[in-house]
Amino acid sequence: MSTALDRQIRPIYDALDTQSNKSAVLACNKVLKKQPNNVLVKALKALALVRLQKVEESLLLADEVLAKKPTDDGVLTAMMHVLRGLGRHSDIVAMFETAYKQHPQNEDLGTQTFFANVRVGNWKAAQQVATKMHKQFQDDRYLYWSIFSAVLQANDMATPEALRPVLLKLALRLISSGNTPSYFNPDRFYVHLLILRELEMYDDAATLLNHEIGQKICETSLVCDEIRRDIMKLKGACKQEGEQAKVKILEKKDRNWLEFLSLLDATFWDIASTSEPASEDVKAAVTEEIAKTRKVFSEAATVDGLKDRSGLLALLELEKRTKSHGLWTDACEIRMMAENYFSQFGDKACCYEDLLPYLAFEGEELEQWTSFLNSRKSFDTPDTLQRSINVYKLLRYNLTSAELTPELELARAQEYIKVYLDGLKFGVNLPDTELQPADDFAILVGHAYVSLWKLTGEESHLQSAAATLEYASARSKQSYRIRLLLIRIYHLLGAPALALDHYRLMNVKQVQTDTLSHLILSRAAMWSLAPLGDITYMSECMEASQIYMSNSTETAEFIARAFSTERYSQIIDFIEFEDRLDNSLQRDLMKVEHVRMRVAHEPLNAELVDMELIELKFIFDRIHHDNRDFEVIPNYQPRCQPSFNEQTLPLKPPGAGWLSAYLKVYIRAFQELPLRERLVKKRQEEIDDLSEDEKLFYEYTLALSEWVGPYHDYVRPPPSALLAEAAKSNDLKPGHPLKSMAAAANGSATNGHSKKDEEPPAVKESPELIPKFFDDMKSRFDAVISGTALPSELLHIVATTQEAYLLFALETVRFKPNSIIKQYKFGQLAQSFKDLRVKASSILNEMSTVLAKLGEEVATPDGRKAFVQASSSIQDSSGFDHDFVLGVAKKTTDARKQTYEGIAKGLAKVVKNHS
Amino acid sequence: MSVLRPFRATDMFKFNNINLDIWTETYGISFYLTYLSRWPDLCCVQEAPNGHMMGYVIGKAEGHGQDWHGHVTALTVAPEYRRLSLARKMMSLLEMVSDETYKGFFVDLYVRCTNSVAISMYEGLGYSVYRRVREYYGSLGLGRASKDEEDAFDMRKPLSRDPHRRSVRANGREFVVSAHDVS
Repeated sequence: MSTALDRQIRPIYDALDTQSNKSAVLACNKVLKKQPNNVLVKALKALALVRLQKVEESLLLADEVLAKKPTDDGVLTAMMHVLRGLGRHSDIVAMFETAYKQHPQNEDLGTQTFFANVRVGNWKAAQQVATKMHKQFQDDRYLYWSIFSAVLQANDMATPEALRPVLLKLALRLISSGNTPSYFNPDRFYVHLLILRELEMYDDAATLLNHEIGQKICETSLVCDEIRRDIMKLKGACKQEGEQAKVKILEKKDRNWLEFLSLLDATFWDIASTSEPASEDVKAAVTEEIAKTRKVFSEAATVDGLKDRSGLLALLELEKRTKSHGLWTDACEIRMMAENYFSQFGDKACCYEDLLPYLAFEGEELEQWTSFLNSRKSFDTPDTLQRSINVYKLLRYNLTSAELTPELELARAQEYIKVYLDGLKFGVNLPDTELQPADDFAILVGHAYVSLWKLTGEESHLQSAAATLEYASARSKQSYRIRLLLIRIYHLLGAPALALDHYRLMNVKQVQTDTLSHLILSRAAMWSLAPLGDITYMSECMEASQIYMSNSTETAEFIARAFSTERYSQIIDFIEFEDRLDNSLQRDLMKVEHVRMRVAHEPLNAELVDMELIELKFIFDRIHHDNRDFEVIPNYQPRCQPSFNEQTLPLKPPGAGWLSAYLKVYIRAFQELPLRERLVKKRQEEIDDLSEDEKLFYEYTLALSEWVGPYHDYVRPPPSALLAEAAKSNDLKPGHPLKSMAAAANGSATNGHSKKDEEPPAVKESPELIPKFFDDMKSRFDAVISGTALPSELLHIVATTQEAYLLFALETVRFKPNSIIKQYKFGQLAQSFKDLRVKASSILNEMSTVLAKLGEEVATPDGRKAFVQASSSIQDSSGFDHDFVLGVAKKTTDARKQTYEGIAKGLAKVVKNHS
Repeated sequence: MSVLRPFRATDMFKFNNINLDIWTETYGISFYLTYLSRWPDLCCVQEAPNGHMMGYVIGKAEGHGQDWHGHVTALTVAPEYRRLSLARKMMSLLEMVSDETYKGFFVDLYVRCTNSVAISMYEGLGYSVYRRVREYYGSLGLGRASKDEEDAFDMRKPLSRDPHRRSVRANGREFVVSAHDVS
């Protein structure tokens, strides 16, 4: 580059570096005036434009640059960013391929071409590029790029079954062609083992692994050791593994639980590896093995003492397996071991979950275990406090249904409160960044009250739970576990705003929004005040969805980077991570929630319909991954009861079936083309996922589309006319994809666009199901109001009715103008619509009035008093003062009032907007 | 008693019980993938028999010449799994890999000067303070804005490649540098 030109170009780069994109464009224009064909400047201008969101202009320039087939490094780099910004990933591939073809000696261009293919997951092409590079540049690294691309192609769902072994065998052949053996580095060794495992060549893999270097690698590389364990298991070399594990446990003092599992598997191998009933000889041999293993574990336990739990826990597992294989064991053996375990490690927080798998006691064993635990309650020091927490949790775990009466549960709740308040003394001097040692007692209180609510149906118990947990949360500000319980309880109590507060205080961010946003966004439309212009939940959806953008812009880059650093062991995981996030169920559940709220928030115009339709159709065929984390919610309910999570879900969590049902509902409502069979068909999986009210709603939407569909078809201009119109307005814009669509439409244009000559479809009465739906919802509403159902159920009914009304408005908006009614002689149809609208409006208005009145009632001094009285059980027993409970009562009732009134006003507004 | 296994990209879907704790930061995707795509062998997880994650360590290898070393970027254990020597086990793996695979001279880490529990644990593992780094941590914004909160100790432990213990010094607490001087 000449210095003169360099002087001109530098300011452009400077402007781009500082994100001054407007001045970058100006600087580019200045150069382009004198040198209109400067490709680099054009590319840089395209980059500035794409950053300014001027997509159309950028596209035009980008196409011009690409047509010149650039090979200059600066141009290629700039264009890579431009095309990435435009989402034209396959053009990046083509651009580098073209450049590499022109300069096959250029190693860097080859690398970039390879990476471009990797980023889009084009493994076949990537493999070809890498092979070519290996031939050209004779670097083993390119050989492994080619090998691993072949492995990934074999792994790809799109690759035909028969081709997979062929690819893997090719990869294996390539490995032996390398200049250095695979154990040159652990990641190459990993690739070799992976291929052998996939080809089921376990003996060959074992040979590599038993080699001195192989062993050495597995000692320092967890990844290789992991695949080694896997291969040995597949090979059936369990006993050999067991022998090695024994040495590691006894001589090297290795306390990786995997070693203990290896030894356990080896011990029972002769029985567990065959489906045949074991002969007496085999049983005797295994019993002998058990004795030997018991000795190993006992020795480890003795050596470790209080330092490590492995030995004792392995002994428990050994007894459990012995019993499950029907071999003789003393009935009380497991209980005694559990007692021993508790005596030694009862002061560790994880003692409870360590012991859970071994505690299915009954009868006399259970009695002895219970009395053992009861004798271990003590509250003298922080250590004994932790021990007592475990005692209470373990006792609760084994409660039988007979012991779960309201009276006994109430007594338990009161006892938990008492010990909680006592236990607070151990945390008085802790800074507010620390957790209170007694927190888990408060969590147990929450569990007992939720259980009481389940047993009696009385809302007051949830209020008591809320009051206690709020108290505990104020004392242990960083306890996210307490907040998780509160989030669930506030939703049940119809106080979503308080749930949202706690959720926000948990500081959920980045990838956690995928796994945890379900806590507040599952069926969020039912809490949303979107009709009033409150976009809180819509913004939460948008914010929580940021992570999917990061995923699509960042993750692929790291897949390429892992190739460049030769960390092959990570690549399959990176791909899985990208896929699980990209096709996350929660992602699309949030999308649907957002649409449901948007329809209530905005006028129903073509812009909304078109945009949402494209997006919904796009996600309709996805195969989803459910990444939602429900496990993080604590559970200390007895084993005969459902978990806390299950008990406190306002409705069962929406799954893939729910998503599919609602996608169909909205795609049908937005659809401009005749209904396709796929959208009409109901699947059992969908029905199973819906609540009772949602089932009615689903039937209603089907009936509605079926009824209104033919009129839409008749009135709508033919598709070819629509496309011609669209093409015309798009003609000025470059890079548009409409041509091919228009051509396809022309091809099938004989199919029904001459309708205008036909008579309009006969006007049919509305299907009975439609008015009936609104009646049904009204009676559901009335029943719930007069019963003891929770606010969450009431709001669900209201939200469903409102949604039905909005969909009705959406589907009939086309037939509103008088000109249409006249032109198509739809007078009678319009009358039917009007009648239905009037009916539905009056029901919505009634709901609105009742809800507003309920809101008034709840937040009065009387309402608060009722709350405080309901929570009397927590005051009788403890130091909770009246004012604290009153404070929580005020917060809860105010939040409920705000929700009720907001939703009531929203209903009225929806009716007004669409009548 | 726990499973020691590699940290995987998909662990980001299941580390909530660890990362919701206030002392553990949740970074963007690129943070974790940067470490995994370069030093996967310095990142590992301790897992409970029921599959819950208990804690993890994320480390890297860096420095030039005599300064080439393993670095502990994040070490964390969920509250319910503390006091089980998990940190000790993860550190020993990281030291072993820094020593044998990367041939580093030492391992180092930063710790808040106020975190006396962690400091004494590291001292028990053979680490000593090499220097004090001013304002290494941003204020937590918890209203206890003492200097010690923001300053870090850079603690080091020599590996087998440094038999003469040149990477550590006796009176490290008195050597103060500013945050700009460290990488």
